[in-house]
Amino acid sequence: MRKILSVIKREYIQIVRTKGFIIGTVLGPVFMLGLIVVPIIVSSASVERQETIGVVDLTNEIFTELDKKLDHREYRLKDGFRRYILEKYEPSPGVEEVRNELRERVLKKEISAYIYIPEDVLESGARESAVKDATVPEEVKAEYVSEHTTDFEELRSLNRALNNVIVEKRLKSEGLDPQKVAQYIKRVELQPIKITKKGEEEDTAGTFMISYFLALIIYMAILIYGQVIMRGVIEEKSSRVVEVVLSSLKPFQLMMGKILGIGAVGLTQFSIWTLFGIGASLYSTSFIPAGADFAMPSIPAHVFIYFVVFFILGYFLFGTLYAAIGSVVNSEKEAQQLVMPVTMFLIVPIMLMIFIIRAPDSPLAVFLSMIPFFTPILMFLRITVLLPPFAQIGVSIVILAITILVMVWLVAKIYRVGILMYGKRPKFAEVVRWVRYS
Amino acid sequence: MDALEIEGISKSFGDFYAVKNLSFEIPAGTIYGLLGPNGAGKTTTIRMVMNIIIPDEGSIKVLNQRMDEEMKERVGYLPEDRGLYPKMKVGELLLFLAEIKGLKGSEARKEIDFWLERFDLSDWKSKKVEELSRGMQQKLQFIVTVIHQPELIILDEPFSGLDPVNTKLLKDVMLEMKEKGRTIVFSTHRMEQVEMICDNICLINKAERVLEGNLSQIKKQYGKNTVILDYDGEANFIKNLPEIDRIDDYGKFMEIKLKEKSSPQDLLPKLVGKISINKYEVREPTLNAIFIEKVGGEEVKDEEDIISH
Repeated sequence: MRKILSVIKREYIQIVRTKGFIIGTVLGPVFMLGLIVVPIIVSSASVERQETIGVVDLTNEIFTELDKKLDHREYRLKDGFRRYILEKYEPSPGVEEVRNELRERVLKKEISAYIYIPEDVLESGARESAVKDATVPEEVKAEYVSEHTTDFEELRSLNRALNNVIVEKRLKSEGLDPQKVAQYIKRVELQPIKITKKGEEEDTAGTFMISYFLALIIYMAILIYGQVIMRGVIEEKSSRVVEVVLSSLKPFQLMMGKILGIGAVGLTQFSIWTLFGIGASLYSTSFIPAGADFAMPSIPAHVFIYFVVFFILGYFLFGTLYAAIGSVVNSEKEAQQLVMPVTMFLIVPIMLMIFIIRAPDSPLAVFLSMIPFFTPILMFLRITVLLPPFAQIGVSIVILAITILVMVWLVAKIYRVGILMYGKRPKFAEVVRWVRYS
Repeated sequence: MDALEIEGISKSFGDFYAVKNLSFEIPAGTIYGLLGPNGAGKTTTIRMVMNIIIPDEGSIKVLNQRMDEEMKERVGYLPEDRGLYPKMKVGELLLFLAEIKGLKGSEARKEIDFWLERFDLSDWKSKKVEELSRGMQQKLQFIVTVIHQPELIILDEPFSGLDPVNTKLLKDVMLEMKEKGRTIVFSTHRMEQVEMICDNICLINKAERVLEGNLSQIKKQYGKNTVILDYDGEANFIKNLPEIDRIDDYGKFMEIKLKEKSSPQDLLPKLVGKISINKYEVREPTLNAIFIEKVGGEEVKDEEDIISH
């Protein structure tokens, strides 16, 4: 045991000290946080300024209302000033002449855009029934003419204001009260409520995202740290240091020490990230802009515990496989072919995730989550989506644990022979013979 | 007491016998040479002693016990394929390898400093292994083998690739170890080293033992019918003389084995006047000659390689 500890210590220190580990640990969360936060900050910090917009109103009824609408608070700048200053242009001497003049002014940057409202916008509601196919109303278009038309935010708010004005006008012309109608057609949200034995809680998209995210982290971590194990074994083999080490300890001790040491590196990295995450959520209010439609989703304690459990078990199961691969090959290039099937065991559950999330307690989902190679990802995912009966979780963990023990026993035999074999990569049948005769 | 007892061990890989029914004992406090051409089974034997390969048959006793994890702490092993962790610092590497040999931290640190000093590597303690030259890495590798003061030291081809300075250093340390009562066994196919430092030898060829025992006794067995001839001139005619059994000719130097009934005194007159003789010495055969005779049909071409005809 003391010798395994020495191996663990060596693996741990040698990896934790590398630049790769430090950079990965620091940049990992920065990168992920960046993906979430940067777009929010950028979009809310986009420079809004006062703009002058010309309006050619052929109906002659809309301009005043639109001008009034854009005076509302929701259309103003943050500091309270009006964002859109409207200038009315009479269509004289002719529409085309005015439009040409406005085009010139836009190009000279005297105004930032102009809006052209055709004559028939107000009637279009009535016209709908006159068209042959009544179910497909002909689209009515006003025009927004500018040098750049990709500011969706601005387009959307102007479009909303214009629409409100026109719809209100249409309703009034039919003798309806726009405010009443607005109340009648108010939308109803279908709010998902998740009930558990402890009570009910609102299920938000946040927790859904978190399950997905955590399962992906298990997948990534197993993949990355598994490869670290494999590379370590290959390195010991190709630098020929392995025989020196084996003159002091058993192959099994070396293998377990390596798997445990690298696992400890993984847990260290997670701990740092968890602390970082807790810190981040404590301060989230200060760096997430108040206006942003985003709240830090929280992870329930039991989910976190299962996350750690399934990460460790999954890491062990796949860690032994990667160690076995490392021991039978001579180079990383050779290893890549053998890694494929192992990677498949990890990719299949990832592809099944959507199915599991939609039907977490279907018999097929239960069955799949019991397959030890899928359990770490799929059972964990089921737990986050719909907590299965504890018996199911327990059975899956027992199956997984037994599989790990069998794998450790099996791989130790392969490792023992393989690690001292150089030259041609052994055929599968040979590896089977090692297991049977050692 | 024997430091190592090997009894009837065999190991085969498929149809190929790497070692076949091999037995020998190594008395404690001696230096033992395990000889044989390349591929004879020396490394396999050593690996079986180290419990890295399990023999199919036979038993091995190390310091009167079966080889196990605790026993490994009393044995030092230099594998044929040298290797260290290239990215580790010299001091850390030695500390790790000493720790897995069962040394405590403080004890290990003391030994590390002593050995680095002894091998003139103290300045390199905090350098990475990969920054060391080949010669320095070889010295470091040897420190790794002896840092835990093993009672039995097993060296697989310890001199291969060493320059003369390091060869001498290693030989000196081996003799020091012997004086301290340690037992050393090493494999080689370079006879002159064996002759200089070995007490006992075992010669293996094609997986089997062909000769074993005390070196000086073996030599005596082969009797005083060997002539060492140091000469200049055309000496081709010698091999056709009736007294000659075998000749090992190096061009200016010749080791001649005479037929049993022939005397060196009869041979000398036949040479006088035909070649210029710088030295004519009657002695026991060199181990090299015994080796070649025993291995049969094979010849030591140069010091590193044995090429069969």
